[in-house]
Amino acid sequence: MSDPYSLRLATGISGLDDMLRGGFLPRTANLIEGAPGTGKTTLGMQFIHHGITAQGEAGLILTFEEFPDQYYRDALGFGWDFQRYEKENRLRVVMTSPEVTLNDFQRLGGILEAHASQIGAHRILIDSISHFERISSDPVMLRTLVYQFINALKRLGLTAVLTRENPALLGETPEDEEDLAFIADSYLMLRYVEIESTLAKAVLVLKQRGSNHARDIRQYQIGPMGIVVQEPFEGAQGVMSGSPVMSMRDAFQKAFFAPKRRPLEK
Amino acid sequence: MGSNREELSAQLMDDIDPELLEFIQLRVNTFIKWDLVQFFHRNPHTTDLPNQIAQYIGRDPRIVGPELKALATSGVLHEEELQGMRIYTLTPDDDMRERIARFMQACEDRQFRLKAIYHVIKGLH
Repeated sequence: MSDPYSLRLATGISGLDDMLRGGFLPRTANLIEGAPGTGKTTLGMQFIHHGITAQGEAGLILTFEEFPDQYYRDALGFGWDFQRYEKENRLRVVMTSPEVTLNDFQRLGGILEAHASQIGAHRILIDSISHFERISSDPVMLRTLVYQFINALKRLGLTAVLTRENPALLGETPEDEEDLAFIADSYLMLRYVEIESTLAKAVLVLKQRGSNHARDIRQYQIGPMGIVVQEPFEGAQGVMSGSPVMSMRDAFQKAFFAPKRRPLEK
Repeated sequence: MGSNREELSAQLMDDIDPELLEFIQLRVNTFIKWDLVQFFHRNPHTTDLPNQIAQYIGRDPRIVGPELKALATSGVLHEEELQGMRIYTLTPDDDMRERIARFMQACEDRQFRLKAIYHVIKGLH
């Protein structure tokens, strides 16, 4: 029996790959949702970078807003030379709009399909799927369009990371935002969490279709080499609400067993 | 006296690579086209609608549309119809891409830029 991990497309983020039991499944659409600055694009770029450098898998970045220069610069900050990968035909950063993307994928031999086949892309970062909302304000229509788009990516044999912005800095996703999560094969939430007056970041794998995954909420940091996922939050409840509180057990321990401050000397 | 000075400056301005001069006169003969050529050179994998491209370069879409069309006619861009929409990409033609790259590289030199600006303005009148 083959190792199930060998079938996965690792993100290169060690803690996250553990949570995903090795990485994303091939030909899947994986939604990364979070507030501005939580590292959605960084996570997507790391997934692309890891594919190129560690797996020999070429990658596409489809951007609907940011200029390619921005990706080159941000990636270089982590030591990833995206401009070189482009010259070597291992990466392509394509700037376009959702309207063009949807129509282009529907036809035979479209421009975007040509980009994918020219470099033999396996991975794609869509940054961000939120821009599809400008095509239609009708949630049913939007869901249909995204569903069609995701299927087109799978048809091309691509494993996709789709980023989506959540306007809420802290707390839960509004209910109407949940709809697209049903279409995606996996759903990762990135959140800001306030702990003792400091802002930390938390990641949760909410679902992964066809695979087991970690259920705990883990802290992560964006360091000089990219995202590093750490240990699960311990002793806290309501982490994804943005303002966790200590569990009864930990509150009790802190109150009764924490080192006591020495009384002020007279 | 004045006409001599004009002749001299015209001679100085004409001291430019003939191929690049032709490229300016026939293709990049407006400042909007110049912006567009620069944009597509820097972002060669862009495929988009005129309105979007106008936003990318921060110009009025009503002006950008005809300029994109003119660049497509002169072979700098590739125009396609997609479900009733006009979309533009950089030409796949290697020779043209090389000429664009040469022009953009030459633009890094201030003296060349001044000469190019002179020829664009001259062509506008």
